[in-house]
Amino acid sequence: MATAVSDAITIEGVTKRFGDFTAVDQVDLAIPRGEFFSLLGPSGCGKTTTLRMLAGFEIPTEGRILLEGEPVENVPPYERNVNMVFQSYALFGHLDVAGNVAFGLKRKKRPKDEIEQRVADALELVGLADRASDRPNRLSGGQRQRVALARALVNQPSVLLLDEPLGALDLKLRRQMQVELKQIQREVGITFVYVTHDQEEALAMSDRIAVMSGGRIAQCGPPEEIYEHPTGEFVAGFIGISNLVEGVVEDETTVRIGTGERLPAPIPADCGQGDTVQISIRPEKIAIDDEIEDDMVSLEGTIEGRVYLGVSTQITVGLGNGSRLVALEQATYRASADDRWEPGMKIRLGWHPENSIVLR
Amino acid sequence: MAFDRPRFLRLYSFFVYAFLFLPIAVVVLFSFNSVKSLQSFQGFSLQWYEEFLNDSTLRESLFVSLEIAVITMIVSTILGTALAIGLVRARTRWSPAANVLMLIPLVTPEIVAGISALIIFSQLGVQLSFWTIVIAHITFSISYVTIVVRGRLASMGDEIEQAAMDLGATRFGAVRLVLFPELWPAVVAAGLLVFALSFDDFVISFFTTGEDVQPLPVRIWSAIRFGVSPTINAIGTLMMAVSITAVIAAVLIPRMFGRKESGIKVLTGQEGG
Repeated sequence: MATAVSDAITIEGVTKRFGDFTAVDQVDLAIPRGEFFSLLGPSGCGKTTTLRMLAGFEIPTEGRILLEGEPVENVPPYERNVNMVFQSYALFGHLDVAGNVAFGLKRKKRPKDEIEQRVADALELVGLADRASDRPNRLSGGQRQRVALARALVNQPSVLLLDEPLGALDLKLRRQMQVELKQIQREVGITFVYVTHDQEEALAMSDRIAVMSGGRIAQCGPPEEIYEHPTGEFVAGFIGISNLVEGVVEDETTVRIGTGERLPAPIPADCGQGDTVQISIRPEKIAIDDEIEDDMVSLEGTIEGRVYLGVSTQITVGLGNGSRLVALEQATYRASADDRWEPGMKIRLGWHPENSIVLR
Repeated sequence: MAFDRPRFLRLYSFFVYAFLFLPIAVVVLFSFNSVKSLQSFQGFSLQWYEEFLNDSTLRESLFVSLEIAVITMIVSTILGTALAIGLVRARTRWSPAANVLMLIPLVTPEIVAGISALIIFSQLGVQLSFWTIVIAHITFSISYVTIVVRGRLASMGDEIEQAAMDLGATRFGAVRLVLFPELWPAVVAAGLLVFALSFDDFVISFFTTGEDVQPLPVRIWSAIRFGVSPTINAIGTLMMAVSITAVIAAVLIPRMFGRKESGIKVLTGQEGG
């Protein structure tokens, strides 16, 4: 095709209201074909409603949704070439595994041989070829998850929608499934739209992430960009632990924080002198005490708490004006004497100025 | 001496079960008595069963009761299931009120339900007959079906229907291909429960029975006024057998079709999601 539509999904100015409540507010998104795209946000941020509008279970109050260039906002779910993996898996208990996977192909009245072949291939893909004749209630949580995935993928949808599909699994299995899902996605090349509230999951799997808050998209970009360069307080706070220190812009290179100290920081072009800003510093970018290097900015504070996390120790430091910084002391050979940090002790924290992010 | 809790509980359970089942055991035992005594058991015989089967009015009453129970079961299962689906899935602003109203027939004293039915039939000028009994039975049965089926529906959630639609089934197809197959153990259990309730109902039948053949419980009541015969024991035993059969069927039918959950679990709310 000369004029190939490159985007699997285009969302234009979509708003969804339930009575007085606006669940999704003027969202615009373009998701290219083959992308692993995540909608990330806390519960109630509109991510699931957005997904359900893509599936056809909700009709947008305003705006347009294009699927492979075709408007679909009024097309019912059973006529859309998208499939969904539900949070509860929603497997059919009266059918065996193969029956579940064949359900979609049977609705499309595919020939019997083709159905058998495709079901077998799909079960092979998710590693459940030997469980074809089992009932779902005989499977473990992880296996049910795979059946749900196979049942959706077998239809070769142009987009696969996943609604917190790993939410019910324990941590270890979740990690393993994250890797597997990503592998499967690469293998089949189908566009995945993945809804999650777990920022680590989104960072680990996605090509791009849209962070949602209050029905709007707060920031959209690749994981590295979202993590390293959050554009707002919400994103900085939602992704990872974030230290926020309030201050006032003094000149093009300095912010004066509440304790009166002046910190050099990269001031964005749209911040003027006298603007109130938040400085965000990731805990892992903070050096403690004798780790502080010459070209770092540093502050002194009092230790308020210490949490031992195994690979690291998390230290909360009060700066004296109500703001706090969290630093991580890695449990490397250097930290063999990590007991030396007790609450109440004075400590110096430092970081490279370029690692602080100034947020309006 | 230490307070021996397990032994105490065992003794206590024994008396509870004895209290529950002894009267029934006595009825069953004396239904096989060879003499007309209700006090002493003389020997085994089937004469009271014979007497019951040879009594054409009693036999007719048995068949009438079975017919009423079967019709009630079929009609109230269909209506009650439809109502349950509507109540759980429609979620309009009226559904909370409708859900509460649903419970009222269960807590209404049967005698009130019976008298109300009688008043309505007479005000409408409907002659009391076989069909007035059936209508009255269906009325009280729908609630039971709805409550059992609604519990199952609520525990299933609505994602499986959405999954079916997502996979290409229309709304009606989702109900036919997924919702109903998932729901039917509860529907069967509810139907058999209603069958048992209708089969041995006395109070409502009493108020709605007319010139037609009386259902068995009403017939027994009339018979007892002229003295208690051991035939009553035989009828009681047979009625119990019918009810127990209904309950066993509620357990076994879903199992025979490879469903893990049995009707008993559905009825007692022990089902898993």
